[in-house]
Amino acid sequence: MTRDLPLKLLRRLLGLLLSLFVLLCLTFVIGRLMPTDPVGAIVGELADPAAYAAMRAKMGLDLPIPQQFWVYVTNLLHGDLGTAVLTGNSVASDLAAAFPATLELATLAIILSVAVGVPLGLLAALYRDTLLDQIARVLSLLGHSLPVFWFGMVGLIVFYAGLQWIGGPGRIDVFYEGIVEPRTGSILIDSLLAGENEIFWNALGHLILPACILAYASMAYIVRMTRSFTLEQLGQDYIIAARAKGLRLPAVVLGHILPNIAVQLVTILAISYGHMLEGAVLVEIVFSWPGVGQYMTNALMIGDMNAILACTLLIGLIFMILNALADAAYLALDPRTRDAR
Amino acid sequence: MGRWGKGLLALAVALAPAAGVAAKTPADQLVIGASLAQVLSLDPGQATESGSWLVTSNIYDRLVSTDPNDPTKLVPELAERWEIDGRSIVFHLRDAKFASGNPVTAEDAAWSLRRMMKLNQAAASLWKPFGFDEKNIDSLLEVVDPKTFRLKLPEGTIAEFVLYALSGNNGAVIDETEAMKHEASGDFGNTWLRANSAGSGPFVLRRWAPNELILLERNDEFWGGKPPMKRVLVRHIAESQVQRLLLERGDIDVATALAASDITAFDGKPGFAVQRVPTGGFYVLAMNTKNQYLANPDVRRAIAWGIDYAGMAKTIMGPYGRVRQVPVPENYPTALPDPGYKLDVAKAKEYLAKAGYPDGFPLVLKTIAETPRVDLATAIQASLAQIGIKVSIEQGNGSQIIAAHRARDFDLLMPLTGGGNMADPLGSLQNFTYNPDNSPTGNSGYFTWRSSWDIPELTKLTTEARGEPDRTKREALYTEIQKQFLASAPAILPMFERFSPVVVSDKVEGFVGQGFRGVRLDTVRKEAD
Repeated sequence: MTRDLPLKLLRRLLGLLLSLFVLLCLTFVIGRLMPTDPVGAIVGELADPAAYAAMRAKMGLDLPIPQQFWVYVTNLLHGDLGTAVLTGNSVASDLAAAFPATLELATLAIILSVAVGVPLGLLAALYRDTLLDQIARVLSLLGHSLPVFWFGMVGLIVFYAGLQWIGGPGRIDVFYEGIVEPRTGSILIDSLLAGENEIFWNALGHLILPACILAYASMAYIVRMTRSFTLEQLGQDYIIAARAKGLRLPAVVLGHILPNIAVQLVTILAISYGHMLEGAVLVEIVFSWPGVGQYMTNALMIGDMNAILACTLLIGLIFMILNALADAAYLALDPRTRDAR
Repeated sequence: MGRWGKGLLALAVALAPAAGVAAKTPADQLVIGASLAQVLSLDPGQATESGSWLVTSNIYDRLVSTDPNDPTKLVPELAERWEIDGRSIVFHLRDAKFASGNPVTAEDAAWSLRRMMKLNQAAASLWKPFGFDEKNIDSLLEVVDPKTFRLKLPEGTIAEFVLYALSGNNGAVIDETEAMKHEASGDFGNTWLRANSAGSGPFVLRRWAPNELILLERNDEFWGGKPPMKRVLVRHIAESQVQRLLLERGDIDVATALAASDITAFDGKPGFAVQRVPTGGFYVLAMNTKNQYLANPDVRRAIAWGIDYAGMAKTIMGPYGRVRQVPVPENYPTALPDPGYKLDVAKAKEYLAKAGYPDGFPLVLKTIAETPRVDLATAIQASLAQIGIKVSIEQGNGSQIIAAHRARDFDLLMPLTGGGNMADPLGSLQNFTYNPDNSPTGNSGYFTWRSSWDIPELTKLTTEARGEPDRTKREALYTEIQKQFLASAPAILPMFERFSPVVVSDKVEGFVGQGFRGVRLDTVRKEAD
């Protein structure tokens, strides 16, 4: 039985690589067929045709598309993601700068949404059709249907411009820029490492609102799913038996329901976290947050293919990793998956 | 902004402490809100995007500049003085040092121009109409001694225009020694200079995080004296309403990328000043004469009478432009009065009937999906529908629409023109009246070529004006060009003179918006709290 495991993993890995490759092919072809003009973006609107053609050749865009793809894949296998038109830097270094900003935002957001969403979902199921359930339902409906963009603006107007409780757009107040040297890429951690407490609090003030808004949108999903998973369990015989033998509600929840819905919850969390990490585009734009979402949007606007492809790969990779982590969590959480192996 | 938005803003004002707006940025740091999305390079030999001007204007000096309050008046910068000597201009350089400590020499000035032409990118294309190119540039530069630089003039070009071109952002004098330390595969240091500075200007570039932030620091060696600002931060804020909140809260001092409705909100508001900076450019309706209908001058006349200019100016353009149907800004010398186009359905239909299309026809209008252009497109669609022309709108991002424009692949399109680096009618006119070769391979980059608008007579007059040293004769030519332009049923129809509005906090002194180059910040001050 254990001999099958490496084989299974290998097959899984090959499958994932294949899907990444197909994703890459599709993105590449669509990108090259799009009527955008990255050359024009570099040489400028008024450049004469000779200068234009020279830059086009320099970027390799005069080659046939299959050959362009071959060049791209060869470079990729050598670890070279190419240069971004948008910034002139290597795409890898751009992503290394943008990703930590998104990671910091998404991580705080997922923590917040789990901390609130799971208990709320449980309570909504346990007190089904009571006022509490209705409130939870309205809250999650709002979170799911309100445009994040609008919500972000309202948040800024009320909490930043009005009440002045929080910092505005951006990761820190602009005059703190350039004081803390980036080490981990997370401003919270870097400022603590540098002993700059003032900057830590400033950064937290900037982070909290976008994180809450991002959290709210996915919290809605988590509440609804937790509620329905729990309801499903509540109808099961073992719960009735547990209640019948006199176990109190908190013990039932902690001892029986949570362990049984954990696997499903982990899947939901992985998906939510993945969506946040692929760049919460609108939140990043409203809050001038220099993350992956904003980077990819700007790249799309000028047809910067190297950047777009690298972002696509990054997103694919994030989902792969989260999937793998979720699988590992299943093994830990659910004895049946261990046995099935 | 809808009713909701207005209500919320009112709420925000109510919630704000009664103390009002408190300046939060430190008194020795200037924070500017901008859109940096189009800034792809800070190399003055390459970049032409106006978003980069503010930076290149301050990390580099040019030989000459223009008076901030009068863009027609040339003033000294690195050249203490200059004289016109027959077919050349001789510059006498002041004692100045680059931020690296190297002295500024005539060789640096010559090298910077040579390098721009040899790099042969958008910056170089601005110089080609004046006869400079990558081949002849070597023969036109002469280093007389370390402090004297002679620039010879190509045939058919007068000194005044070359001086204006030199005063633009691309006339920057770069530290050759420093830049060449970073040369890679014959790029004249371009890769390095895109994101680093090697100039003698009042500030040096400390950090450029694309689409996020540009950080400038005071150059203590600056020849013009120590600038009051220690740091200048240009921050990318894509959303106009967010930029407005930041300005109101005092987290930025200057906002340069506000939508019309947000600018209007600052009109007359205590604590802020709105500057409407003229650019010498226009909002234009380009008609492609490759289209069978648009090839007919009477159809183009019908369209000119089928647009509600006044309505669009009032509801859409606001601070971004004013109605102007002649391609020379109203306040320039020689500017002719408007021909008086307005929405006149009867007259427009008359022209359509004359052209043989009394029942109209369909056209596609391509536009970049951004305000105010999308709103203008919708307004044009509505008014042309009244005369029977059925317009469908195709939106795209900048590079898609510009690519279509370049490829002559459109019926109607709404591009913007610029002022051509100079506050002179010629700078504004070139995109409208100059098309040296209308053949498919003759792409000069001008909008006339892109509309396949063949205008040999106007081109001849424009070329003559460019080489005419006598001001009176030149101005007579400008008048003639405008007359002929109006009589020819233009395929490039100017609609609005273009302004670039900025809103400046009252705490800031000496920030004078510029339409032809970036604002110099060496004398800008901020009031302390």
